[in-house]
Amino acid sequence: MMTGTDPIRLPTHRLKKIEIVVHAADQGLVEDLLKAAGVGGWTIIRDVAGMGHGGFHQGKTIFNDASGLVMFVGVAGAAAIGEVARGLARMFEQRAGVTFLSDVEVIRSDYFTPGAEAG
Amino acid sequence: MNMMAQITAPERQLSRTEVAGLVALAARRVPPLWPLASAIATNPLAGFEHLPFAEAVASAARQFGAAATLPLDHWRNWLAAGRVDQAALRSAAVTRLGGIYRASAPVAAGLSRLDLLLARLLTMPSPAAAPPRRLADDAALIAKWCAAFFDRGQAAVPMPHRELGLYRAVLALLPHDRAFTALAGPAGRRLLLAVPRDPLAAVAEGLAVLDVPGGEISEWLAGLVARLPGWAGHIRWRSEHADPELSAGAPATMADLLALWLLLARAGVLSPAPAAPDTRPMPAALAAHCGLDLARLGPDRQVMVEEVARLDDATLGQLFMAAAEQTYLEGLVPQLERAITPPQASRPAAQLVFCIDVRSEPFRRALEAEGPYETLGYAGFFGLPIALRRDGAPHRERLLPVLLAPQHDLAEAPLPGHEAQAARLAAAQATGRHAASLFATAKQGPATAFATAEATGPLAAVLMAGRTLAPRLARRLQARLAPPREEALAPALHHHDPARTPFSLAEQVGYAATLFRLTGLPAQTARLVVLTGHGGAAVNNPYAAALDCGACGGHPGGANARVLAAMLNTPEVRAGLAAQGLALPAESWFLAAEHNTTTDAVTLFDRDAVPSSHLADLAQLESALARAGATNRARRARLLGRTPDALISAACDWAEVRPEWGLASNAAFVVGPRWWSRDVDLAGRAFLHSYDWQTDPDGAALATILTAPMVVAQWINCQYLFSTLDNQAYGSGDKTTQNVLGGIGVIQGNGGDLRIGLPRQSLFDDAGTPFHLPQRLLTVVLAPPDRVARVVAASPILGQLFGKGWVRLVVVDPATGQARRWRDDSEAAPEGTLPHEIVWTQETA
Repeated sequence: MMTGTDPIRLPTHRLKKIEIVVHAADQGLVEDLLKAAGVGGWTIIRDVAGMGHGGFHQGKTIFNDASGLVMFVGVAGAAAIGEVARGLARMFEQRAGVTFLSDVEVIRSDYFTPGAEAG
Repeated sequence: MNMMAQITAPERQLSRTEVAGLVALAARRVPPLWPLASAIATNPLAGFEHLPFAEAVASAARQFGAAATLPLDHWRNWLAAGRVDQAALRSAAVTRLGGIYRASAPVAAGLSRLDLLLARLLTMPSPAAAPPRRLADDAALIAKWCAAFFDRGQAAVPMPHRELGLYRAVLALLPHDRAFTALAGPAGRRLLLAVPRDPLAAVAEGLAVLDVPGGEISEWLAGLVARLPGWAGHIRWRSEHADPELSAGAPATMADLLALWLLLARAGVLSPAPAAPDTRPMPAALAAHCGLDLARLGPDRQVMVEEVARLDDATLGQLFMAAAEQTYLEGLVPQLERAITPPQASRPAAQLVFCIDVRSEPFRRALEAEGPYETLGYAGFFGLPIALRRDGAPHRERLLPVLLAPQHDLAEAPLPGHEAQAARLAAAQATGRHAASLFATAKQGPATAFATAEATGPLAAVLMAGRTLAPRLARRLQARLAPPREEALAPALHHHDPARTPFSLAEQVGYAATLFRLTGLPAQTARLVVLTGHGGAAVNNPYAAALDCGACGGHPGGANARVLAAMLNTPEVRAGLAAQGLALPAESWFLAAEHNTTTDAVTLFDRDAVPSSHLADLAQLESALARAGATNRARRARLLGRTPDALISAACDWAEVRPEWGLASNAAFVVGPRWWSRDVDLAGRAFLHSYDWQTDPDGAALATILTAPMVVAQWINCQYLFSTLDNQAYGSGDKTTQNVLGGIGVIQGNGGDLRIGLPRQSLFDDAGTPFHLPQRLLTVVLAPPDRVARVVAASPILGQLFGKGWVRLVVVDPATGQARRWRDDSEAAPEGTLPHEIVWTQETA
């Protein structure tokens, strides 16, 4: 893990971020992957909408949590995020979804290691 | 694939995360299975809903070793009785043969392809239902350990090591299991020492050792999940829907179950997948049945005979089902097409909002006949995503559809002025619990079992005689021991601790407004508005919760009705509604009630709070409710072949296997204002959701109705459909040979898989004739067709249900009264139409 300096001169740690957008019905599938890869915590943004290959995806309807799309944001070391991506590649053979990987810098690296409190 | 017991691990194997993804996908092959206390209907073919309906039925039949149709004799009986129209069957047969030109091609003089197919449908002998299959030894072994592991307090001695998880706990005990040794032998015992202890690692290693090709892993694992759909479904419920406290101390995931299957696969003792018997006749037999000698036909004609002989019974069953659906559609839809003119508006004496449940409809009709009462249909949880901890109960009840997670935790609290009554009730309940616990402990103790039987036997004999000979008297005596719960306690809308208010004011206004927005209930409400939940009544019946409200998570809906009624009577909520343009008359009073669907009695809650100015209205309404109950009871008694009075006894008779027909015969989901369907006798077969397209310009309310209440209705419809189709594979079999297991489900006899679906008595009469005709849900919506099309196009859930033929959709245009049917993806598109364009009903009739 590399350490850098951010514009306001705080010591920061470089980690990987994964963003995953799937149908809300598949939320449990992604959670299983994140847990198995040892990602300690993640954020779920429910009720996201957007344009995709299949046209516009509406947000969720009020009486069905499994309708619409959800977005996961997870941050962890490169190895764990790589594991998640590998698992997702398998999942996307059968299920719709997109994922983005990027480099991020965080202030508290211990917060994103397995066993830490979810963020 | 190498099936030999191989102990060393190969070098290349999948990572834990890859396995986790594959296991999670495989788990979707079966739906979650809720425990009996909160029975939720699910589609046993939910894992196949991405496929067109007919293909899904055939695939699932192969996977689960199930029948794909009822025996044809049942269909032939329905044809004779007019439930399936001859012309509709003929039309379905013509379509199957590729159109009228191919169907009418002559095979011999005076005999066409169509005649051959009709002979197979109508007169050729067809095989009877297959006898129940015996569970293979490997599945029986895993089922046995699942039963031990998942027990919730019924076993006298709990299984040790449960804290390690299902897989590791079973691994620890298998060396002592003679059945395992007999099955897997010494190699199997050696394998127990060598396999990884982590279930995901064990699955990864097993897949590598068995050399399952990468592209086939997911399907192969899904096939293993499908071998015990009951236990796999129980694991899904625990992992995805149960409160964590219910599985604390005994963790189990689908990876645990699959690791056990992989262990048996590595030991080389996996039984072959069930094979469906080939029931197709020989072409020569078909020809002979039609008076022809196959050998004397020309080659082209022989091919024609073979083509019809090749159709399996599943296909023939599908033709009957399609014809039955068309018969129903043609009976219902024209009536709705003619009924699009709204009546003159008049203010009713009371409005009653019922659950969409099919059992509400005939009661509503009976009530409407009793006076100026308007009824509406709304999801029976009244839009409240709540969980309730009842006073003295160990766990909370989730009183909402399983599509939602609870957002508000409520507790019961004594009603003002009834504190002493509540205390007496709590004391009586505590005494009952302690006595039951003491009795259970004494009954199971090796030193106390006989003494307990001797000491309590005479009392038990008296109670048994009372319950058997005079069930209603026994019920009355029992009721005297404790005051009625609903008179002493209510779900508390306001907690005594202000920091723990279950609902903010904005939330209350939101839930109250949703009632109006979704149902089209106008703000000018009647003097009395009754929110009417429902529940069944049965004793000594493991399936009692299946008679309760599905929208309330398999619980009675009275609590939800009480909460929303209390909100709607709160002045601050009324002010909030007025600010949203929903100014309710000050004189409107909201009341909660519960319709007992077994006895047709309606209990009104919180009568003490009704203003004295409304008591006369209430008295009239109660009288009307009682008369409506009697009318509906008489109607239902005819269907059950009993007297109306016998229905009241059935609710408290511990020997009763069919207290009511539940949702059997469900067939339609009707979305529109009540006046539209009011003059159509829907015969207790329709879910009714009130909806006013004029107050829903963007279709948001319609999207909610179709993606939530209709989805729940589809689950119910598919549960009844498939439980009837094959009651052994998709239902739970005969009630009289069931055993209740550990508070979670039933098994047949003394072992095997946890049973899914409905018992035989819920679907068939005592003579074995199906009461429920298996047909897919027909949704009929009164709304502008282009608006419905937009709603469907924007929802992958609806695209799949309508496109793959799981639900049939008919839209009645309010401007013209013309009905159009949504074309499913497999139907040929008339030239010039888009794939999802709505086509005229008449074109496809």
